[in-house]
Amino acid sequence: MAATAGSRTHKIGSVFSRTRNLVRVGLLEKPPWLDVYAAFPPLREPVFRVPRPRYRSRDRVGAVLYREDTVRARFYKVYGNGPKPFELTRLNFKSTCQRFVEKYNELKEEGKIEEEKLFEETGKALLASGILLQRRGVDKVAQQGAGSRDPALQPQLQAVLEELQEKRKDGEEQPPELAGTHKEHPCPS
Amino acid sequence: DDKLLTEPLSHPDFFSVKELFTLKDLFDARVHLGHKKGCRHRFMEPYIFGCRLDQDIIDLDQTMQHLQLALNFTAHVAYRGGIILFVTRRRQFCHLVESTARACGEYAHTRYWQGGLLTNARIQFGPGVRLPDLLVFLSTLNNVFEPHVAIRDAAKMNIPTVGVVDTNCNPCLITYPVPGNDDSPAAVELYCKLFRMTIIRAKDKRRQSEAIEELR
Repeated sequence: MAATAGSRTHKIGSVFSRTRNLVRVGLLEKPPWLDVYAAFPPLREPVFRVPRPRYRSRDRVGAVLYREDTVRARFYKVYGNGPKPFELTRLNFKSTCQRFVEKYNELKEEGKIEEEKLFEETGKALLASGILLQRRGVDKVAQQGAGSRDPALQPQLQAVLEELQEKRKDGEEQPPELAGTHKEHPCPS
Repeated sequence: DDKLLTEPLSHPDFFSVKELFTLKDLFDARVHLGHKKGCRHRFMEPYIFGCRLDQDIIDLDQTMQHLQLALNFTAHVAYRGGIILFVTRRRQFCHLVESTARACGEYAHTRYWQGGLLTNARIQFGPGVRLPDLLVFLSTLNNVFEPHVAIRDAAKMNIPTVGVVDTNCNPCLITYPVPGNDDSPAAVELYCKLFRMTIIRAKDKRRQSEAIEELR
């Protein structure tokens, strides 16, 4: 059996430095991996580091953003998730959004259409090639609210509000004694 | 015998490990997908390419370098007749890892790691036990998302380690970390395939070299 010395101090130095020193002193027989490590060292020496959390420092990892992301964001806002689901099993899959972005870039490079109309033109072009895009529905509550409110009702509502506000002001001008008597009557309001 | 051992060290890529994988293979196996921003470990930040919609993307150029070094090291250790132990605590892949180890002719430990397996081996297994010369981690975390005990134990017993580190892992104590996804089946199958091919290649080369030496 070989000389079995060891150094269990895993927080001091690396595996390589400890083994190399023990071998040099003669306490340990040379293990097979020592020469291999010496010939092909890793990119970072595996020294122990205490994992302390970061306090109030900026994010070191940047965001991955592309120029097409503005078009994609607008597409998802207007059309929702898109008609076709994502087939992630296929490696060369192109989603509706990706086709939209590519068409947008094509039309932009051609340069015949103005910037504002480019989005709608791309929608029309995709419709021509057979992809049906449905605009995302506006929230149902907002729809109902907008429908029930008549344009004629608006000034009437305002007049009612103003009357209520005047009544409240008259109520405040009453002497404070009345306010005291009001308190004596515990009426749930 | 000395010549057999020293000759492979002079070549930068004696076992032509670089041809086993390409960047496209890594991308198709979804090796670049990390966890969400909140799970990120501080020491993995240099290996991360960027954050897309809060999901970390691992830098595959760095992964290529690290993977090449790791495979080269395993190949050399296998060439010198070292014992390799595959360790993972992912129940999803335990069968795959065990069958990979069996195919290589090496060993695997994918069950609960008892406290003194490496540090108390003399008493648990007997006096003349030989410890593994290399530990390969297919996932450095255990079932409760804490660093596997074997990493610390291998560092204590002066055993080098090769490990796949995801964005929520601590790569400090691992000798040859490989930043990459350890959750997708495609990625783990790729790693198993690569390790199996390198070890088999290294052992075949050893047998060939020994045969040539005997003929002389």
